Amino acid sequence: MQQRYLLRNNNYTLPFYLIVKLTKPILFLIFLFLSVNSLSAAELAASCTSKERYGGHIIWAASSDPRSFNLIIAKEASTTSIIGIMFEGLTETDGVTLEIKPALAQSWSYDQNGLIWEFKLRRDVFWSDGERFNADDVVFTFNSLIYNDQIPSSARDIFTIEGKKIEVEKIDDFTVRFTLPKKFVPFLRSMSQEILPQHVLKDSVDAGKFSFTWGTDTDPQKIIGTGPFLLSEYLPGEKVVLLRNPRYYKKDREGNRLPYLEKIIFLIVGNQDAALLRFLDNELDSYGLRGKDYPLLKPKEKERDFTVYNVGPTFSSNFIVFNQNRGISPTTNMPYYQENKLRWFTDLNFRRAVAHAIDKKMIIQILMNGFGTSQNSPVSPSAENFYTKDVVIYDYDLDKARNILAEAGYRDRDGDGILEDVQGEKIEFNLFTAAEDDIRIQISAMIRNDLKELGMKVNFLPLEFNSLVQRLVSTYDWDAVVIGLTGGIEPHFGKNVWNSKGRLHMWYPAQDNPATAWEERIDEIFDLAAQEFNQRRRKKLYDEWQRLVSENLPLIYTVLGDSMFAVRNKFGNFKPTSFGGPFHNIEEIYIIPKD
Amino acid sequence: MRILHKKIPAQISNGVNKPKHRSKSQFRVALSHLKKSRLSRFSIFALFTLYTLALFADFFVPYAYDDEERLLSYAAPARVHIIDDSGKFRGPFIYDTIIEFDEYRRKIYKEDKSRIHRIKFFARRQRYKFLGLFDADRCLFGVDKPARIYLWGADIRGRDIFSRIIYGSRISSTIGLIGVSISFFIGLMIGGISGFYGGKVDNFLMRLTEMIMMIPGFYLMLVLRERFSTNLNSAQIYLMIVFIFAFIGWAGLARVIRGMSMSLREREYVLAARALGISNIKIIVRHILPHCTSYAIVAAALSIPSYILGEATLSLLGLGIQDPIPSWGNMLSEALGIVQIGFYPWILLPGVFIFIMVMSFNLLGDGLRDALDPMFRS
Repeated sequence: MQQRYLLRNNNYTLPFYLIVKLTKPILFLIFLFLSVNSLSAAELAASCTSKERYGGHIIWAASSDPRSFNLIIAKEASTTSIIGIMFEGLTETDGVTLEIKPALAQSWSYDQNGLIWEFKLRRDVFWSDGERFNADDVVFTFNSLIYNDQIPSSARDIFTIEGKKIEVEKIDDFTVRFTLPKKFVPFLRSMSQEILPQHVLKDSVDAGKFSFTWGTDTDPQKIIGTGPFLLSEYLPGEKVVLLRNPRYYKKDREGNRLPYLEKIIFLIVGNQDAALLRFLDNELDSYGLRGKDYPLLKPKEKERDFTVYNVGPTFSSNFIVFNQNRGISPTTNMPYYQENKLRWFTDLNFRRAVAHAIDKKMIIQILMNGFGTSQNSPVSPSAENFYTKDVVIYDYDLDKARNILAEAGYRDRDGDGILEDVQGEKIEFNLFTAAEDDIRIQISAMIRNDLKELGMKVNFLPLEFNSLVQRLVSTYDWDAVVIGLTGGIEPHFGKNVWNSKGRLHMWYPAQDNPATAWEERIDEIFDLAAQEFNQRRRKKLYDEWQRLVSENLPLIYTVLGDSMFAVRNKFGNFKPTSFGGPFHNIEEIYIIPKD
Repeated sequence: MRILHKKIPAQISNGVNKPKHRSKSQFRVALSHLKKSRLSRFSIFALFTLYTLALFADFFVPYAYDDEERLLSYAAPARVHIIDDSGKFRGPFIYDTIIEFDEYRRKIYKEDKSRIHRIKFFARRQRYKFLGLFDADRCLFGVDKPARIYLWGADIRGRDIFSRIIYGSRISSTIGLIGVSISFFIGLMIGGISGFYGGKVDNFLMRLTEMIMMIPGFYLMLVLRERFSTNLNSAQIYLMIVFIFAFIGWAGLARVIRGMSMSLREREYVLAARALGISNIKIIVRHILPHCTSYAIVAAALSIPSYILGEATLSLLGLGIQDPIPSWGNMLSEALGIVQIGFYPWILLPGVFIFIMVMSFNLLGDGLRDALDPMFRS
């Protein structure tokens, strides 16, 4: 459900099903990296009968304890990745083809304007307590939870189209009608929003206590869902256990009820090195690799019976952004930001020079051990349906950067090795990044060193992630930041970043009117593209957006790491993708019986 | 007693009876004792070397601490040759390092034997200010560009670990001394005053001391670090860390000094000084505290390691000295992952230096205690 772009804390992506909802994978890459081992696994899979597929468990790592079992309130990826398995939406995105396919809804239809959508719900879905799933649950989820002002739901933004709600009505027990205020193409994808049970939660909503319902102290049996697995046990600091849902509606080709696996166990391991050790000790079935882990893990593949998969670039970007906030604070009536720094950072030549000073090749080489791609556009190459190569590319060239700066009037006038701008002000600023993420710290340190070569005095300071975000989105007290965003295959879900009114429009958030012509055009593009059903024309609009971003550099992109994971060679139906991760089809995964 | 000892012979020496042997001063006695102990000699030698390296760091290192060569990320320690492949004696030299990757993307280090790079003494390096005063561009040893000599290997961005360790010793070698001087000044003053005056003053000061002692030091350190603004440059962070350590370091000493001062104030010479109408502060500073010095010196030497370790811990957690300024702690923070330690063990070297320095101060402290304590002398 993480459809909005979120600020990304660290590179610790959990090795599973956390993002079942979007993208197009690069299939050839997957096959390129499938080893002999897993091909023989596939052959084995064909030979085993469906009865033999049942049973067994899978053990995953969780980076931290879940904060809540309440999916509407939960915000951290570490929490939603665990509880997301217990719930489903009306639609879902196929992890391999990335087409939208029916989930809790059987079929849907819409009128010619694309404003009125009718969803026919499945009649064979039951909540885990035996109640039948029906239209009331859908209406309840939207009208009483998402659109409820007293509940801090992160999903509300997605379902608010130009300030208006979507009307959700029940037609009959198994038909729901959505009336959109305006044409909204990503609507169908956003219908992967998980549905929650009305019969369980209604009382707490009526009593105004929903925000405190389904906390981590709840009896696991009381968390009622429709997903393939259900919460069975939670030991804080140790593990979360999910058990197979015997009422799950999906069936395999032979008509056997899914899922095959009996249990999913999340071990709470804290940091990634701990996860790596436990994976090597056979305590975990899957491990999300960092580039530097590759030389350690790859040689052990045969001996420890696992395979390392590289499924191509991730969706999580890394970029440097400069503060261009021209706003006036309403409380103090003073500009948010110092005038001299604003002068440099709003100068496109300054940003272009910085873009030329980012040694992407060495960042990939040194920090990611060669497993990365340089990023030039806000869209990841893994999102093939919207990615364009037709953008301005800034190669690493310090001389070019020096020339750009000199022509724009940044010169070292007093010979102390530090540049001064036209008005004689020395170029000195702070560069922040999240202290928890060693890759970003190193990226920042490299950028700092290259900017020093150009004659800028950069004070580099890693900050605690939350205080960094605080500065970015509320106090606006920062100069430059190296940070990242989660991404997806649907560019529209990045609207909170790209719209000039957006809160995550980091370089100048929440503008009343777009400050520049290109920001105005990007606003327009996002509005137009949201109403364009024709995929080709939609892509053209988003291509223009990517080009505008690369020309104007509000965010200066650096590199994308590859999405890699090591998984034991014992799972059948295993189809890893960059977006879905290794286990996007967890209900179909089974353990290959040994002989 | 010591004071009397020193002054009376001085008066007598004006007289006729010159003693046959000059009696040894307290300091000399202690020093000769210290010299006898092998461990103390070793620690003094180690500390002297480390402090010399720290003072003349610019001269001893071939590269500036932030001089990166990214192509040589994690270069292995250089092998210094004397004889080339044909068996000819060439003096100390190195070959170029080539880093290749095997099928598992592990680094393979090879030497390019086509060219030798002689290690030059008094070689040129990047310009620096020697002792902050004179422009200089020579260093103890180096090789001609574009070759690079990594005596103890390189870190992730290809910076020379040897140079960074030597520069880093500046932090560790001074932070303990400065911190200890500040906290001992506070500790001696508060302990002395508290013990001498007694009563309400004593009560108040000792409760304050206990409050400081009650808080676990490490957490107090973290909280204090958190309270300070993050927009600080390295020099400010350094000063701040010294201040933090001084702030949490004085309490233990103050308690002991207060006890000593309490018993000393009843001594005859203190009473005599009081009877002569000498001001209280003067009595504390001139007559009471000097009696505590031997204890204080030992305690100081023994507490310096905790300052060094404290700085290393803060820096290891990313809260202390910030990159690119090297400190042994922040250099070690790059060695936090099991992958790095496995493949590039030389990044643990700063830990060896922390060990040497901490051990030297501990041995020196022990030696000083033995030397200054009359009970042990015989």
